[in-house]
Amino acid sequence: MMFKNWLFFSVFFFAAAEIQAAESPAYSPEWLALGHYRPQGNGQYESTIDSDNFFLAPDGKENPENELKATIALFAGQDEKRCFFPGRYLYLKKHKLTSADFPKCKEYEQFQKDLQPAGVTLLFTDAYMNNPSSLFGHTLLRIDTARKGTQLLAHGANYGAFTAGQENSVLFAVLGLTGGYYGGFTVKPYYDVINTYNNIENRDIWELNLDFTPEELDLFVAHLWEVGQAQSRYYFFTRNCSYMLMETLDAVRPGLHLADDFPVQAIPLDTVKAVYSRPGLVKGINYRPSRQAKIKHRYKQMNTKEKEAYLAAIKNQDWTLSGVDDNAAKADILETAYQYVQYQYVAHELELSDYRQRSFKALLARNKIAENGKMEELKDGKNPLFSHNAMRAVFGAGIRNGEAFQEVSYRPAYHSLTDDNYGFLRGAEINFLNTTFRHYDDSDKTVLQQFDLVGIKSLSPIDAMFKPISYLINADVKREMNPGTEKEGYTFNLKVGGGSTVALNEEIWFYFLGSVYAGYGAILPDNTIGGLGWTAGIFADYGSWRLIAEAEKVLATNHFGDKMRYKAEAVYSLNRSNAIAAEYCYEQNYGKDLDEALVSWRHYF
Amino acid sequence: MKKLYLAVMLLGGAMMAASNAGAVDSTGCGLGSMAWRGQSGIGPQVLAATTNGLFGTQTFGITFGTSGCDPNGRITGGTGRMTLAFLENNMEQYAMDAAAGRGETIDTLAGILNMDSEKLGEISKTNFAYLFADENVDAVQVTLNLLELVQNA
Repeated sequence: MMFKNWLFFSVFFFAAAEIQAAESPAYSPEWLALGHYRPQGNGQYESTIDSDNFFLAPDGKENPENELKATIALFAGQDEKRCFFPGRYLYLKKHKLTSADFPKCKEYEQFQKDLQPAGVTLLFTDAYMNNPSSLFGHTLLRIDTARKGTQLLAHGANYGAFTAGQENSVLFAVLGLTGGYYGGFTVKPYYDVINTYNNIENRDIWELNLDFTPEELDLFVAHLWEVGQAQSRYYFFTRNCSYMLMETLDAVRPGLHLADDFPVQAIPLDTVKAVYSRPGLVKGINYRPSRQAKIKHRYKQMNTKEKEAYLAAIKNQDWTLSGVDDNAAKADILETAYQYVQYQYVAHELELSDYRQRSFKALLARNKIAENGKMEELKDGKNPLFSHNAMRAVFGAGIRNGEAFQEVSYRPAYHSLTDDNYGFLRGAEINFLNTTFRHYDDSDKTVLQQFDLVGIKSLSPIDAMFKPISYLINADVKREMNPGTEKEGYTFNLKVGGGSTVALNEEIWFYFLGSVYAGYGAILPDNTIGGLGWTAGIFADYGSWRLIAEAEKVLATNHFGDKMRYKAEAVYSLNRSNAIAAEYCYEQNYGKDLDEALVSWRHYF
Repeated sequence: MKKLYLAVMLLGGAMMAASNAGAVDSTGCGLGSMAWRGQSGIGPQVLAATTNGLFGTQTFGITFGTSGCDPNGRITGGTGRMTLAFLENNMEQYAMDAAAGRGETIDTLAGILNMDSEKLGEISKTNFAYLFADENVDAVQVTLNLLELVQNA
C-alpha cells in the first residue's frame, strides 16, 4: 500500500514536472541548451560554463529560471551587458519575452562584418602522432564565409584549453586531466587552420557541411559570440574540445541532443560520427589532404623517368629534369618538388637559406613553363566516418601450456594495428585501458590477466622522401609467473622503444625497434627489473585481413626478465563491427617456456 | 610616387593594428574581447601571454601560427590590409600559384581584390619575377608589387 502510494505520488509528481518543463520557457530545451545547462539527475540543472560573466542571476549557473528572469530584466534596461548576449536575445524575441530592440553593439557588429557568415562546417583533423594531446584527432567548427574568393577566408572556431605553452610538460598532462586549465573558444582565419593542420602537422582535414537554416545560422553566430566570452574548466577526456562543440551545436538545434551521447568520454571521431548520424544535419563532406598526402599522391602518378628526374632535383639539386620532355610533366614535377621543399623546411631538414634557394629554383623553373600540369589532385581519402567504433569487446578461448582458458576483454578506446584500418592513420595504434579477464579450467580460477594503461605504437615507413621515426610506448599491469618460484602475481611494466619501418609494398611493412624495459612487482626478484631489447616484426594489412608476426628479445637485470618471445596475430574482419582473430605466443624464459594459443571474436561498438 | 603612397597606407594600417595590439582589447583571440576588460585572473593573463606580434615583418617562408591571439585573428579591414594579412600567412603558397598562374591562393586573392581569377593568374604568372624579385622578398613588398600590378592592369 505504502509502495503503491509512493508510486502514484511519484508518477503524479514527474508528470507535473514534465508539464511545467514543457510550458515554462525557463525549462524549454532551447533555453537549457543556450545556457549549456545539463541535467544533474536529481531534477536539477547545472551549466557547463564556469565563468561568472556568463550568468546574470547570482545563482544562474544552477538556476535556469532565475537566469531567464535576469535576462528578461537585462533587455528591459540599457545595460551595456546586453551586447554579450545576442543569442539569448534571439530566444527572448522568438518567444515574445521582450519587445525591446537589440542595442547597437560595435564590437559584435564588427564580428559579424568580419565573418560574413554563410554556413557552418564541422572539421575533423586526423591523428597527429607527434603530440600526445592530438593522438585522437581534433575537431573544430568553421563559420563559412560569403566573402568573394574561397573558403580560405572563412574562420575556424576552436575550443581549446589555455595552456600557456606547457603542452609538452608533465604539468600539462596532470592539469589537462584534472580540470586545471580553462577552455574557451578562439577564432582564426581558415587559411591559418589549413596551414597548421595540412601544411605544418601534415594532417588530413575532413569538412562536414552542416545544413543550417538562415535563422539557425544567425543563432549560431550569436551564440558563438556569447559563449566566446565565457570559459569552462577543461578536462582532456570528458569536457574537451569536441564535447563543447556538441553543446554548441545543441544550442542551435536542441533536438539534436548531441551532448547527451557523451556523458563520460568524448573522443573527437565519435563526436563526428554522432553529428553524421543526425538526420538532415550533414549536407556534404569534403576532404582536404595533408601536404604529405598530396606529395605522395603526386609521386605515385609519376613514371620511372619522371621519378628519377624528381628525385635528382630534391636530392641532388639537379633541376634540369633531364629525361623528361613533356612540359606538363615538368610542371607537375616542379610543383611537387616545391611542396617537398616546403615539407622539408617544416620538418627542420633544411636551413632557411637552403630552403629559400631551393624554393626559388623550383619557382623560377616552373614559371618558365607555359603549360599547366596534368596531375590529378588527391580528392578522396578513407573517410574516418566509416571506420570501426572505438570501443572493443573480445571473447576468446585458448590453451596456455596445455591448460584451457576463456577470456573476455574490454577496451574503451581506440584502435589496434590488427583492427580494421579503414579511416585510421595507417600504422598508428592507440589502446587505452584495455582490460582482460581470464578463467583457467584446470585450476578453476578467474583472474585479471592484463590491464593496459596505455599502449601507443606508431609505425611509419621510411622511403626516398620521408624518414619518420617509428616508436612505441607501453604501460601495463600483467599477471605473470616467476619461473624460479612458480608463484604468480602482478607486475607493472613500462616499455619505450624507437626504430624504423620499411615498406615492401603498400600492404607489407617490416619494422625494427629497440626498447628499454622497467618492471615492478612483488613476485619479481628484488621487486624490480630493468631491461634492454629489440623487436623485429612484419605487419601485413590487406584491408579485410591483417597479420602481425614479431620476435622480441629482452636482456634483463635478472633471469626472470630474460626472454625470447615469438608472437603472431591474424585477424579477419567480417564487417566493420566484427572480426575473428587467432593469436599465438611462444616465450622462452629461464628454462620454463610458455606456449599460448587463442582464438577470439572481436566486436566494435 | 604611387608606390610610396601605397606603402604609407599599408604600413599606417599595420601600425594602427599594432598599437591596438598593445591595448587590453587585443586579448580576445578574434572573438569579442569585451569580457576581459578590467578583469584580472587566469583567463586574461593567459590570453595576454600568448598574444603574438603583428604583421609587417614576414620574409619569404612558412609562418608558424602567427595569427593566434592578435587582432589579426579575424579577417578584417579593406583590400590592402586583407591582401597583406593573407600574404603574410600564405606567401609561399601564393609564390607557387603565381609561378604556375593558377591555384587556390589566386582564387582567394582574386576575391579579395574583386577581380577575375584567371586574369589575376595571368598577371601573377607573367610578372612573377617582378612580384618575387629575390629570395629575401617580404610580404609587404609582394603586397605592394601585387597591388601596383593590379591597379595598372
